[in-house]
Amino acid sequence: MDDRDILIQRFLDQDLTPEERVQFLQQVDADPGLRREWLNLELVVVEAGRLPRIAPSRQFTARVLTALDPESKSILDRFVGWVTAPRTLQWNLGGAMAAAFVVILAVSGLLRLVPERIVEVPISSPSAQMVSLEQAPAPTTYVRLVLVQPGAQSVSVAGDFNGWNPNRTSMERSDGGVWTTTIRLKPGRYQYMFVIDGKQWLADPLATEDAGDGFGSQNAVLDVSTTL
Amino acid sequence: MPVEPQAGGDEARLIARSQQQDHEAFGQLVDRYAGVVVNLAYRMVGNRADAEDLAQDAFLAAFKALPTFRADSKFSTWLYRIAANKCKDWLRAKHPAPVDLDDHEAVVAQVVETHTPERLLSQQQVAQQLDGAIQRLPPLYREAFVLKHVEGLSYEEMQELLGVNADTLKMRVYKGRVQLSRELSEWNDLQSSVSR
Repeated sequence: MDDRDILIQRFLDQDLTPEERVQFLQQVDADPGLRREWLNLELVVVEAGRLPRIAPSRQFTARVLTALDPESKSILDRFVGWVTAPRTLQWNLGGAMAAAFVVILAVSGLLRLVPERIVEVPISSPSAQMVSLEQAPAPTTYVRLVLVQPGAQSVSVAGDFNGWNPNRTSMERSDGGVWTTTIRLKPGRYQYMFVIDGKQWLADPLATEDAGDGFGSQNAVLDVSTTL
Repeated sequence: MPVEPQAGGDEARLIARSQQQDHEAFGQLVDRYAGVVVNLAYRMVGNRADAEDLAQDAFLAAFKALPTFRADSKFSTWLYRIAANKCKDWLRAKHPAPVDLDDHEAVVAQVVETHTPERLLSQQQVAQQLDGAIQRLPPLYREAFVLKHVEGLSYEEMQELLGVNADTLKMRVYKGRVQLSRELSEWNDLQSSVSR
């Protein structure tokens, strides 16, 4: 994103001061290219606000209320609801010890049974070629991560691929405050975040997918497929 | 925020009664918010039937979770968050084909070189094309764009609702705008070449 894009986006987001807005409109007046770019984006914004709204069907509220009523559910639905309903477990030490005793008995019984079920089957040794095929390393992909952060002194990335350690994968700064790094990953899904100046954690603004981290924030998700 | 049609003491009473499993009171809340929730779902999933199903799921989930609702947050924001999450789950389950939005320089260059939009497009045509193009945005960009420009939320409200940093949301909205602008421009070019 260059200065021109930033200016247009700030105008559309109404982030400009009144003086800056006047300057922007003067620039638009003098620069046909800027004017076209702005008009195309402005058109999207204006028309999105005017998209027709749909009315819910007349039975909508009745449908919701019917679904709320447990009497209207089928026997199967009620059974599933009964099985999956959250319950509070009340316990005492005597009961817990008895339950633990039952579990120990069950596990030890299983351990006695399992060896008798193991049947040794002679297997012919695979050829060297097959072994080498089976042990071929999984394909890896180089992934480039980019973050625009002009005010940062340091940026690193932490994620599933480096044990969420922000000290392991630092990013390189280039012109315009663009920070980049290239990492080698095997196919899979990885969650990650950028770490700015060692303290501020930020999900990748360019990520097309995110996932909850279980603590109320969102991690960016990187999906590395074998077809990349 | 457009999803606060009749907030106030009356709504607080309806919420309190709903928390006591009063279906009639909850029905009044559904009546109030059905429009905004169904429209949000419609813009996210692109068809009325799925939108109403998702909206219904959102209301059912809200009713179930009402005992955990605390009066220090806005009911509309809380309900909107539930609906947005339902839509997101639905979209994830559908595994939409990803759209490459990384080549920003090419996008902007293309936008700059295209015709001015007002020259060829009628408003109705633009609305139809825009509607379709919104459905082709990646879910995260679609969510941010719809909340910002279709539903008219501020970035602060979006941040509270989605739990995502406002700067990140601005970037997603920006990417969404650029993609939509590019699609409208491509369609405009196509129309003008046909009409020649």
